[in-house]
Amino acid sequence: MSVLAFYARNAQEVLGLIWEHMYLVLISTGTAILIGVPLGIALTRRPAWRGSVLGLANVFQTVPSLALFGFLIPLPFLGGIGARTAIVALVLYALLPIVRNTYTGIAGVDPAVREAGRGMGMTDGQLLRLVELPLSLGVILAGVRVATVVGVGTATIAAAIGAGGLGVYIFRGVATVDNTLILAGALPAALMAIAADGLLGLAERRLAWRRT
Amino acid sequence: MAADVRVGRLDRWTVGRGVLLGALALWGCHRRDRIVVGSKNFTESDLLGEIVAQQIQRRTSVPVERRFHLGGTFVCHQAITAGQIDLYVEYTGTAYTALLKLPPGPGPDSVYRAVAAQYRQRFGLVWGKPLGFDNTFAITARRADAARHGLQRISDLARVAPRWRAGFGYEFLERADGFRGLADVYGLRFAAPPTAMDLGLTYRALAEGKVDVIAGNSTDGQIAALDLVVLEDDRHYFPPYQAATVTRGQTLDAHPEVGRALAELDGKISNAEMRRLNALADVEHKDIAAIAREWLQVNAP
Repeated sequence: MSVLAFYARNAQEVLGLIWEHMYLVLISTGTAILIGVPLGIALTRRPAWRGSVLGLANVFQTVPSLALFGFLIPLPFLGGIGARTAIVALVLYALLPIVRNTYTGIAGVDPAVREAGRGMGMTDGQLLRLVELPLSLGVILAGVRVATVVGVGTATIAAAIGAGGLGVYIFRGVATVDNTLILAGALPAALMAIAADGLLGLAERRLAWRRT
Repeated sequence: MAADVRVGRLDRWTVGRGVLLGALALWGCHRRDRIVVGSKNFTESDLLGEIVAQQIQRRTSVPVERRFHLGGTFVCHQAITAGQIDLYVEYTGTAYTALLKLPPGPGPDSVYRAVAAQYRQRFGLVWGKPLGFDNTFAITARRADAARHGLQRISDLARVAPRWRAGFGYEFLERADGFRGLADVYGLRFAAPPTAMDLGLTYRALAEGKVDVIAGNSTDGQIAALDLVVLEDDRHYFPPYQAATVTRGQTLDAHPEVGRALAELDGKISNAEMRRLNALADVEHKDIAAIAREWLQVNAP
């Protein structure tokens, strides 16, 4: 197969791009978790904000990546060209599933269980840590899983702003009418998405196991 | 559907099958009796697609369908060879180097002749006569920088290149007629390897000072609008990129009137005219259909 021959000739470059791709996904999904989970928790405490915050996260999903990059280039700290701008865009795209699942997970905890916790004299922090988060962990993790798998695919657009990753092969292939190059970028990205989905699915099941 | 209510269960199958076959037959005709015009994913290609589409609508009775902003050279070529579109506007140099993968070198006429002959023979596609303008790669810098360093030609760029950053589109970085050859011919050595990015974003990055030199298209409207200058290709590195329609031979055989309508556009769009039309769309944000309509009224009455 010509894709394999291509990899044999360009092993160094392929590994470099795979690493860049993983780096983009890990940093952006990690950042999205750090922002999204607390934000989702905050929404369960302030339900009035729910509409506007989720609406905003929804809007980010609909902005085409090139348009988003166009807005980001002139910004002083977040923008410019390169990995930082790509990560900012990927974080914005990853926020929605994480925020929404965190909110849905915690809001879905049986009110009777929550009342029992309060009856035992738990503070709000204890209730969150000992009752709500453990019970909603599966749903939150499902959101992280969606964000990661989608992120592996979306990270290919990082190549549009000089941030590298497997999208480089896809962009090059499209620009030069070369199907081998497109596949060379798309195949490892697809495998990476499947692997990420499998690993996070395993983590989800392990957590469910421990609870029962 | 009052008639359908009265047919029995078995009959409904027959009717259903008839309807399906009829629909298929209609769909088949529908496809044959329509001209599908495509375009690539940038303003100029959309504009030319719209001009061509309106010209066919004005001169013939064949219905026209638009499939614009397809993902670049590659997608358009696949679409037209697969019969998904009937025509689009292509550039001779692009077809010559990127699609036919022929080595760069010859002048405009031989490039056009080679491309037209190969297209007919290999894909059954027919090149129209050139529309008149030549949209070459434009090595572009900010006007203030060019004035400060006295840059007019690409050869002048070699002096400042070691301190400058470049940002190029993927097509330009990869093509046989792109960056690598340019760097060799002019001895360009930049501070860092050029940043590979989306072509449309390079103008933004240049205007915002994130890079110092880019490769745009000579007919782009942003060059004047963003106060940029194009450096002269004094060593004639780039091949000619004359724009012309590429049409499926079968379509022209079935509708010779389409070929006659397209021929009216031969040689009608100069470089300056194409730049003006692009600027109307990209800088003044006018509607592409309106720009095309006005242009046709004046230039092909």
